[in-house]
Amino acid sequence: MASNWMKVAALAALPAMAALPTAADAGEKEAKACLNTKIWDGYNDGWAVRTAVDATLEKGEHRVYLVTLYAGNEYSLQACGDGDAGDIDLVLHDKEGKEVARDKSDDREPKVSFTPPRTDTYYVALYAASLSGEADKAGVAMAVTYK
Amino acid sequence: MKLRALALAVVLLGGCDNQGEPTANAPADAPADKAPDIQFTAADFANAEKVALVPSPAEMERSLERSGIEQKLASMVDDSPISMDAENKDQIAVRAGVVLADLVLTVKESSKERTIERLDTIKVAIDKLGGGDDVPAQIDELKAQIEAGELTNDELIQEFDELSQVMVPELEYEAGEWVVPLIQAGSWLEGAHLVSGAVQDAGKFEAANDLLRQPEVVDYFIEYVNREGGDKAPDEVVDQLKSTLSTLKTVADKPALGADEVATIHDATGSVLSLL
Repeated sequence: MASNWMKVAALAALPAMAALPTAADAGEKEAKACLNTKIWDGYNDGWAVRTAVDATLEKGEHRVYLVTLYAGNEYSLQACGDGDAGDIDLVLHDKEGKEVARDKSDDREPKVSFTPPRTDTYYVALYAASLSGEADKAGVAMAVTYK
Repeated sequence: MKLRALALAVVLLGGCDNQGEPTANAPADAPADKAPDIQFTAADFANAEKVALVPSPAEMERSLERSGIEQKLASMVDDSPISMDAENKDQIAVRAGVVLADLVLTVKESSKERTIERLDTIKVAIDKLGGGDDVPAQIDELKAQIEAGELTNDELIQEFDELSQVMVPELEYEAGEWVVPLIQAGSWLEGAHLVSGAVQDAGKFEAANDLLRQPEVVDYFIEYVNREGGDKAPDEVVDQLKSTLSTLKTVADKPALGADEVATIHDATGSVLSLL
């Protein structure tokens, strides 16, 4: 069962969708629902959530997020794409822009685990490498979780 | 709240040894058919979004535990009530952040009544910041569950940890983009104050670099505190916050933190918190 706050998170997205419902809104909602399930389940294993974000990406489009990661903590970067997503990628870079990790999957639910050797800022790139069928964009959601 | 179990496989990734040490430009464990097909540029990094930049108070405490410092931050939280009786919305946002941090950090130790008081304080803050009705309604639902003893401590931790996440879209939509960074600033300042105090008490100053040195986070807060427009009436707390952030920026730019720098962080953060 969803926690109280996750239910509110879903509600918080409603005004914008009610005002101007679009395919992008629906896609992001689907992606967030998928991601929220992963977050809730992760709590049973001691994971907690730093931040969850969502976006709509066209094929080849990306978003980059700056994150502070603590030395010694375990981090799991997770994302979900909606049904229009094909291969969604997560790529982690250090502060100098050097790639340090990326997901291994070719699907729409990538995950990257990382334990920083030192506390620092990193860049997380969320990338729509491919979409499914004739889709021209996909809703995606990404979370930074830790334990 | 009943959560389904799911084992999250923790996979150490390419270019990392068992300690997660980055060792190469390209991830060694990326499969051959998963070769990078995009190169991210300096412009991508320069334009990175900062919504996930600031660590949560619970995350700060976990990092403290990992460093070998056993002191619980909850034992250091000043239990004096924090009022939302302020006109300046920047100040209210910072106060709300402090209360949120205290709520998360003390959930295991606080009485039911004190926890509910803090939730009521957050409700007042949301109202004064111009937030919507959804979060306050859910706070009322949560208070009822607490009063009825329906939630375990672990479930409460999850609820409170998620509160800060949920308030982001709610407040950004209803009150404005500037609110969330200032709430985050309040939580981060409280966390930094408590962590620096714990480091001092433990005398474990070698842990300070990994626990307290976050120059990009300080820059992020400075950007919003110094923004133009909105509710920018002169305010003692906001003026002190600017001074504190300037001090923290100077400290964070040092190559390494020692006892003096930890003391500076503790005093500078305390100078803001003491005004709340």
